[in-house]
Amino acid sequence: MMRKIGIAFRPHNLLNIQNWLLSSRKILEIRTLSAQASSTTEIGSIDTGAPVENGDSKKNLSKAMKAYLDRAREHDEFMNAQRVEFEIGKRHLANMMGENPETFTQADIDNAIEYLFPSGLYQKHARPIMKPPEEVFPQRKAAEFDETGRPYHFLFYTGRSNFYQVLYDVVEHINEMYKFEDSMTRKNLQPDPMLKLNLSGTEWIAKSALEFRVVETVSDREYNTFVTAMDRLSNMPFAYKVKDFIMEYRVSLMNQSETYDAIKPQIREDGRESVTVYECRRKRAIGNVTVISPGTGKITINGQGISYFEGIQEREQILFPLIFSNMQNKVDIEAEMQNGGPSGQAGAIRYGISWALRSFVDQETMESMRLAGLLTFDIRVRERKKPGQAGARRKFTWKKR
Amino acid sequence: MAAAKGLFAKCQLFKWNIQAISAGIFQNGMAIYPSFYIDPIFRKEVQQELVQSGEIDQYAHLPTKPAANNQTCSLTFDPDISLFTNYLMRDGRKNFARQLVEKSLEQVKRIQLEKFHKCTSEEDKAKIELDPKVIFHRAVTNSMPLLQLMPVKRGGVKYQVPVPVSHHRSRFLGMKWLIEASREKDKKTVRFWTQLARELVDASNNSGRVIRRKQDLHRQCEANKAYAHYRWS
Repeated sequence: MMRKIGIAFRPHNLLNIQNWLLSSRKILEIRTLSAQASSTTEIGSIDTGAPVENGDSKKNLSKAMKAYLDRAREHDEFMNAQRVEFEIGKRHLANMMGENPETFTQADIDNAIEYLFPSGLYQKHARPIMKPPEEVFPQRKAAEFDETGRPYHFLFYTGRSNFYQVLYDVVEHINEMYKFEDSMTRKNLQPDPMLKLNLSGTEWIAKSALEFRVVETVSDREYNTFVTAMDRLSNMPFAYKVKDFIMEYRVSLMNQSETYDAIKPQIREDGRESVTVYECRRKRAIGNVTVISPGTGKITINGQGISYFEGIQEREQILFPLIFSNMQNKVDIEAEMQNGGPSGQAGAIRYGISWALRSFVDQETMESMRLAGLLTFDIRVRERKKPGQAGARRKFTWKKR
Repeated sequence: MAAAKGLFAKCQLFKWNIQAISAGIFQNGMAIYPSFYIDPIFRKEVQQELVQSGEIDQYAHLPTKPAANNQTCSLTFDPDISLFTNYLMRDGRKNFARQLVEKSLEQVKRIQLEKFHKCTSEEDKAKIELDPKVIFHRAVTNSMPLLQLMPVKRGGVKYQVPVPVSHHRSRFLGMKWLIEASREKDKKTVRFWTQLARELVDASNNSGRVIRRKQDLHRQCEANKAYAHYRWS
């Protein structure tokens, strides 16, 4: 029992607990929190409703309940102190930055901290921060049981009532779906293909997000259960009927082509625009590629034309992005390549041309170039030979003696 | 400035790739790219089809593998011929292998043109296929076996058991036989591409050494069909 109470802390302020209680269904009639409770010395005590006398309930308090109330009070005091400190710190910071403390927002705080404590640490969460205590200290659950120790939630003894409530809801929806499907089959009706649930571009919320939402720790296995259950629900033919519920647990993915911006073209002496991509690489080859627009399709590689490459394949590779984006006679290409072989050099030039062409094509073409694999940097390189082996992976012929 | 930004963007992209890989969650066998990377859709018409069917949306959020250095959207590109070139290649001499294939396709065209001009009537002329690529595809399809023999040991005796072959394996065997038949040419004076052209034309007409080899295999499979149950028992 003690262990259960241990996790049953309340959140940072009483308003929150009130909200939480209001939102939970059955508790609403049984108990409400008076605003007075916060002003009295007994912060966190739960004011019982009319039927039970105040004095009686205090007498009946179990040790566990007392311990819980103590902890809740301590946590509340701590959070209040932190909040006051944060406010003072914020005002000091605003004064230091010479701004109005009344209108100093969180964004201003972040900027000020970045300015005052410049940090080169790679990990963002390792850099100095100043955030409201609600964000710094982990959220805690509201009271899960009344003063007699009786839990509110019917899944309390699972230890993760909110998480299992989600799974419970999923199963309820699935059962509803089955019933609905049966009734539709009886009427000889098919699901509407126009309304079919489209989940592309979104994914299930991450484990950490789920944990934050249910204010409980969720193990990897439980998270997998959640994903499996949600997948099952969303794969049902009439899943669009519970779209709202499903979409609550989906987050939208970032569009791949929005992950990088095109380079801004420079104006050359002859008035044409040019984009240079420096250090284009592929295998051992390295060099710079310049795309000049408008042009006539002239290609210069190390002072020669496309005949710099003897093989057809290499020439095809140079022309690939140009043909693909319909720019083959609209731009000029200049490339300076070093090291590597023909294949690597051609690959590096192909990458440079594609990367530079983004500045001269529309968003749609850019996306189709990305899908064609032109905008992905090829990170593959020759694997080194290992000692004691004939090659990178090949072993010497094994002889017993 | 633009250059610096470009370099920065490239580094960022690079860094992101490395991060995704070092995560180790999406390990994809020996491949350097994680499993969620999609294969490049490098043909324009394939992309058009995807746009029309609306399937393109599901790729908008997935990163793409870089296109391989023999893949291109050029009209001359043919995936089967590219595969055939790779099967034909020895010691990584891709350019040489490609030359051989191109020369033999040219030779196919010459053979067909010769036949075409020898014909007197329009009807006969219309029957002759002049496109060497079509001849190539026909030849490969005709030389693809349906069954192959697999040795299975039962009671200390090895039985040659006929088993069906997958499409991939069947195509590989057909192409391999075409290459082997051209290498085993009768005279030393005949060049490889000439012989390959002859084999291709023969196979496209359902005759020649490769087709005979396929039929031999089928005949053996037919003879050994009593052992077919050894696949399971």
